[in-house]
Order: sequence, then C-alpha cells, then structure tokens
Amino acid sequence: MKSRPGNLAPHNESLFNAVLSTLDMVVFECEEDLSEFRLQGLPPDWWRQWVGPADCTVLDLGRCSPFLQEYLTSAHLAWAGTPGATEKSGPWTEPDRQGGSMTLEATALSIESKKVLLIERLGSGFKEMGTIVQRARERMLAEERTVKAYRKTETHLISKLEVSERTKDDVLALLQHLGLAALVLDERGHITFASDRGLEILGMTAEAVIDQEWEHALPLHKHDRVSIRELIDTVSVPRKTCVVCIEGPRPRWVEIEVHGDPRHPDRHIVIVHDRTELHTLRRVLNEQASFHDLVGKSPAMLRTYQLVRDVAQVDSTVLIEGETGTGKELIARAIHSCSGRKHRPFIAANCAGLTDSILTSQLFGHKRGAFTGAVNDQQGLFEAAEGGTLFLDEIGDIPQQVQTALLRVLQEKEITRLGEAKPRKVDVRVVAATHHNLSEDVVRGSFRADLLYRIRIARVQLSPLRERREDIPLLAQSFLGQICTATGKTIERLNPDTLRLLMSHAWPGNVRELKSAIEFAVISCKAKEVLPIDLPPEIISAPVVPSSSVWIPLPNRDEKSRFLAALSDAKGNRTEAARRLGVSRATFYRRLVELDIDPR
Amino acid sequence: MMQKKVCMLGGFAVGKTSLVRRFVSNVFSDHYHTTIGVTVEKKSVTVDDRDVMLVLWDLYGEDEFQRVRDSYLRGSSGYILVMDGTRRATLDAAFALQQTALQTVGTVPFISIINKADVRSEWEIDERTIEQLRERGWTVLFGSAKLGQGVEELFVTLATQIVHAAPIPRDCL
Ligand SMILES: Nc1nc2c(ncn2[C@@H]2O[C@H](COP(=O)(O)OP(=O)(O)OP(=O)(O)O)[C@@H](O)[C@H]2O)c(=O)[nH]1
Ligand SMILES: [Mg+2]
Repeated sequence: MKSRPGNLAPHNESLFNAVLSTLDMVVFECEEDLSEFRLQGLPPDWWRQWVGPADCTVLDLGRCSPFLQEYLTSAHLAWAGTPGATEKSGPWTEPDRQGGSMTLEATALSIESKKVLLIERLGSGFKEMGTIVQRARERMLAEERTVKAYRKTETHLISKLEVSERTKDDVLALLQHLGLAALVLDERGHITFASDRGLEILGMTAEAVIDQEWEHALPLHKHDRVSIRELIDTVSVPRKTCVVCIEGPRPRWVEIEVHGDPRHPDRHIVIVHDRTELHTLRRVLNEQASFHDLVGKSPAMLRTYQLVRDVAQVDSTVLIEGETGTGKELIARAIHSCSGRKHRPFIAANCAGLTDSILTSQLFGHKRGAFTGAVNDQQGLFEAAEGGTLFLDEIGDIPQQVQTALLRVLQEKEITRLGEAKPRKVDVRVVAATHHNLSEDVVRGSFRADLLYRIRIARVQLSPLRERREDIPLLAQSFLGQICTATGKTIERLNPDTLRLLMSHAWPGNVRELKSAIEFAVISCKAKEVLPIDLPPEIISAPVVPSSSVWIPLPNRDEKSRFLAALSDAKGNRTEAARRLGVSRATFYRRLVELDIDPR
Repeated sequence: MMQKKVCMLGGFAVGKTSLVRRFVSNVFSDHYHTTIGVTVEKKSVTVDDRDVMLVLWDLYGEDEFQRVRDSYLRGSSGYILVMDGTRRATLDAAFALQQTALQTVGTVPFISIINKADVRSEWEIDERTIEQLRERGWTVLFGSAKLGQGVEELFVTLATQIVHAAPIPRDCL
C-alpha cells in the first residue's frame, strides 16, 4: 500500500511521516465538495488494521463508524469558517480488530483554504486521565456507601433508642406505680437509677444519690456497709438479704436484696424493703426481755424496768435495795443511761470496808498535805462525776462521820476537799445501793435516819433470783452467749437436765452466782451443749428445791459452814471462794467479818 | 432502515453502559468501568411492524469534573435519562442533563428510568418523588440492567415515541 501524495504533501515526505507516526495520527485532505477524504502521508498501523486490508487511501464514509459519520456532517462548520479554525470531536471509543477497543479523537481544521481531517489515537496520557477519573469515581461511590451505611446505622439506632426510651418510660411508670423501691448500680458501684419509692424509703433526694457511689451516698454504719458489700460481691441464688439501718434524724431499717443485672454481670439491681415498723415492733418485744444490760421478763423485772424509766426522768437520789448479786450496779447504770445525764460520767464507788478518812478523801478529794501521803491536790469522786451520776454501793457500810458529810453534800450540793475550807459546788446525782435493811440499821443506830430519808427519795427493790426463776433460762442463755463470744467457744445450748438443775438451785448469790456457774460450765464443757456434769459441784450436789417452794434463807450457822466449806474447797483462795459462793469479793470479806471467820 | 440517534444521559455509575450492553448484547457485569467519551452501539427494534435502527450513544456520566459536550447530543432523536435508585443525588444530575438536552436538541422524546430495581430495599428515591417526576410530564420507568428487567421496554418505548413524533420520511412510506 502506498499513499498517493496529495496537495498537502510536504517537501520532506519522510519528516512528515515521522511526525504522523509519532503523533499516532492519520491525516486526510478533503475535496472541496466534501465528497472524498484523501489520505496524506503514511498512516499508522492501527488505522490500516481498523479499516481493513482494502485500499485505505480514501476514507469510505459509508463504512466508517457512526460517530465519525455524525462528526463529519457537523465538521464542515469548522471548514466553512475562517482559516485556522479547528473543531475537535471529543473522544470516542471504537472496537479494534484484536477484540479490544481504542479511543480516538478527530479534529477538523482548515489550512489555507484546504480542509484537513486529523484522526488521532488517544494514548497513554489519555489512559492515565481515565484511570484517575475511574479511581475518583470509585472513591466517591465508596464514600457514598459509607455515608449511607452510617446514616442507616444512625436511623436504626435512633429508632432503637426511641423504642428503648419508650420501653424505659413504660417500665418506669410501672415501677413507680407498683411502688417498687429499687436502685441500679453500675459497674463502679455508682447509683444510676433510684425509683421514687426507693428514695422515699431511704429518706433521700435523687440529687443526693444519682451518680454517687452507694457507699458514700447512703448513710450507713460501717458494719452495715460491709454486709451490703458482701451481698454485692457474692450475688447468689437463693438470694441473700441483709437488714441495715439508714442513719439520720429518723433512722430507717431496710432490708436489702441484691440482684445481678441479667444484661450486665457487673451491674446490680438493689431492691429495698422498709422494715422500720417491723424493727420497732421487734425492739419493743425484745425490750421486754431485756433492758440495757438487765435480762429478764418476769413480772418483777418488767416492773423494775418501768420503775427505772420513771426514776430516770427525775433527778432525785435513789436507793436500790437487793440481795448480793441481784445486779444493783446494773440498775444504777440503767438509771444513768436513761436519764438526762447519760452523756456525763457514771462513777461507781464501793463504800464497804473503807476507813473514815480514806472514804472521805475518796469521795470529796483532798488538798496537798492534808494528811501524810497527800502529796498532790486530788479531786474526789463527786467532782469526777460532775454533771453525771455517782453510784455509792454498800451505803449501809459507811462510817458515821462520812454519813454526816454525805448528808451535807446532798443538802447543800457542795463539797469541801479534805484540808480545804472553801466548799465547791457540785451537780451530781447520787444513786445508792444496799443489801442491808437500812431501816433496821437506823433502829440499831448504825445509820443516820435523816440520811436514809435523804437518799431514799426514790426506791428500787430488786427481787432475789429465787423469786423470779422464770428468768433463769433467759439469763443462763444470755450469759452462755456472752461467755462464748468472749472465750471463742461455740456452745449452742444448755442441756434440758442442766436447765432443770439451774432452775431448782437456790441461788443465794443470785444472778452473779448464776453467771459464775455458767462461766465454770463453759470452761468444763467439751460438747455443743452444757451438760449437768459441767456445772459447779455445789449446784450438782445441792438438794433439789421444788420450783414452787419459797426460798428460806439459811440460818447464819449454815451460812458460816458454807463459807468455811467454800474456803476449804478453794484451798484458802478468797477470790475463788467468793466466786464459788456467787458473791462479790466485797460481800465475801464483809460476811467473813460478820460471821467471825478467820480466813487463815 | 430508519436510523435514530439516542443518547444515554445520567450521573456517573447509574448504569447507562450496563443498560446498553444488556439491550445490545444481553450481558451484564458487576464490575464498574467508567465510560470516557462516548461509545456508540447499534440495535434495531420493531415499531409498528417497521424496523428502526437505534444508534445508542453511551455517554460518560456527568459530574462536577466532566460536563456533557453539546456536540455529542446534537442530532439526537431522543434520549434516555438514567438514575440510580440507590443514590438520590443522581436525580439532580438527571434534572440538569434534561435541561442541557432541551437546550441542545429541543423537545425530542425522552424517557427516564430508575435503574437498580433489583436492590429496591436500598432505594433512596421514594414514591412521592417519583410521583412528582410524573407530574412534570416525565415518563418514569423502573428497571434493572442486572436482571434485564424493563430494559427492552425502555428502548422500545422510546423508539415508539420517536417514530410517532417524527414525520414519516417519504422513502419509508
Ligand atoms: N445492582 C445493580 N447494579 C447495577 C445495575 N446496573 C448497573 N449496575 C452497576 O453499577 C455500576 C455502574 O454501571 P455502569 O453501567 O458502568 O454505569 P454508567 O452509568 O455507564 O457509569 P459511567 O460510565 O461512569 O457514567 C456497575 O458496577 C454495575 O455493575 C443494576 O441494574 N443493578
Ligand atoms: Mg458507562
């Protein structure tokens, strides 16, 4: 195939062909009437392959591509225009003979009244541009997809949120309607929700608890906090509960029930039940069985409790009368604790077996140098008990001279320290106790009548234990519990035979004797219950007293022999002998003197 | 045989090439290969018992980088506005192209098609919008190049409108 050199043929044909080959371009010159397009120079290979083996020197309009046909019908606009005008077709794609495709672009231009048509194959530059556009569009599509996915998720979440908000509102309404008292704790132990009823029971506001750590928000005693923490740490089935006190001006007793949140194992739902009323009722019931440290629910004891309450309300001097070991000091303490002086000191003094001067100095204090050995100024018990209560045990034993001084103190409400002249004001309530019959002492002349009337303004008489035997099981159980706690032993109960023995014993040493007996038994006991064999021998061997019988005080001779026996059993150890007899050491010594026993 | 130039217009990746290839060669590819410039394909349809050769100009999709050249549109007897149901923005591209076409080739017949009906659940173009298009006087078809749904109908309907709109040439009588 050889192109026919046309009018456009340059002088240097080989240069012209080289340019065309480099530009990958075919050049046609057009007849004036547009009837024929004549090839100029050498066409590139792709052109020959595309148009086929036929003679390609003339462009066959009938066989050329529809795009080119369309373009050539409009291209004469450029040709009709001013010389030098060009018009590009824009790129178009044609299939090549190898089953691929190529992108071409045509340009119509007029040069010196000649109409020229250029067809170039768009090469690597164009392909690069295509790749960039392709990538840009793919990226835009991917971004659109991402945005769409986000939007979808957002819509989904919003609708879910709406549903869950609605559900939450419903559940809340239900919760409030049911009056369920509940708190929700998150994984950090912060309160994230509290129902109205819950707040009401706790006596708190939402602001005070929401987003607060429960341990800080709830006013609890330390041991109650520990109990709740244990519940939270070991959420178990069946569910455990604990009753705690929400402290405050109006303390609330609540039962706490902790559930694991089924959806979040680290979160907890706390159900609160108001148990204040139950607790109050139970306390009233318990109070009837015990009062401060006093134990017993016999009619005699219940009367005593009431008397103590009444006496506590007034500030007068009280005389407590009762046999040894009946708990006179406990009564004195109870009066103090129930009285307006409860936050001030309670001081107990035993007046038995003390000489005149020692007792005077003890009670009223002394000035330095008041007597040999008074190296410092010393305040007395009256001053020490300022504002509180002074308990004078064994008041019947105080020497006459001290009785006189005491009487003056009670009348004047002032004391004078030994060795001083100036009296000092004191505000002390005196509670005195005696096992004597002071009226008899007055008749005998050993106790001042005016002092007796002065101290016996109020009077509490304690029954001996033998007159309130029904309290023995309660007392024994209570002592058993106390002693076990103190010693760390675990003895659960008293064997029925043991109890029978305790019930039938005469208890000359009263409650103190009973306590010593239980102490003795706990030491001996090897089992889970106290057996008769564990009791002190004098209780096991003592003749059984029918429970209905009245205790007849033993005549002095018998008492003397009991004291002697106790001393010999205790191998002369007076403390042990007193313990065995169930009497205080003070009483023991006093009785030794009274019974004329020489302890050696 | 009567030849009619028809342009495929629409935003990028709406499925112009896919519709043409499904119609002409009955093939489809999930792979996206953007059209640069124009590819011309031919296929004849029968309208009122007469064969009409449709010369389909598959143009590149218009976006902010590539405006459609007026020269490509010139001489069209009709055009097809393609939208992608899953991308609402392709509706705006269709509006703009319709204006361009109107200015370049005048009031020739056109048909709009919302493509990708096979993924209808993902469509962003709702019934209300479609109703509004129809109220504007647009013919709105639904189709899927992927499944071949509505494709034949699309081209035949347009060919029919073109034939009916054009005065019948003397030599065809
Ligand atoms: N699901 C689905 N995808 C389709 C359909 N039609 C086309 N696609 C896909 O959409 C993408 C774009 O298709 P093309 O036909 O290249 O779109 P175009 O309009 O020619 O794109 P440009 O040439 O870039 O303007 C491709 O990945 C196709 O596989 C369809 O009916 N359904
Ligand atoms: Mg395409």
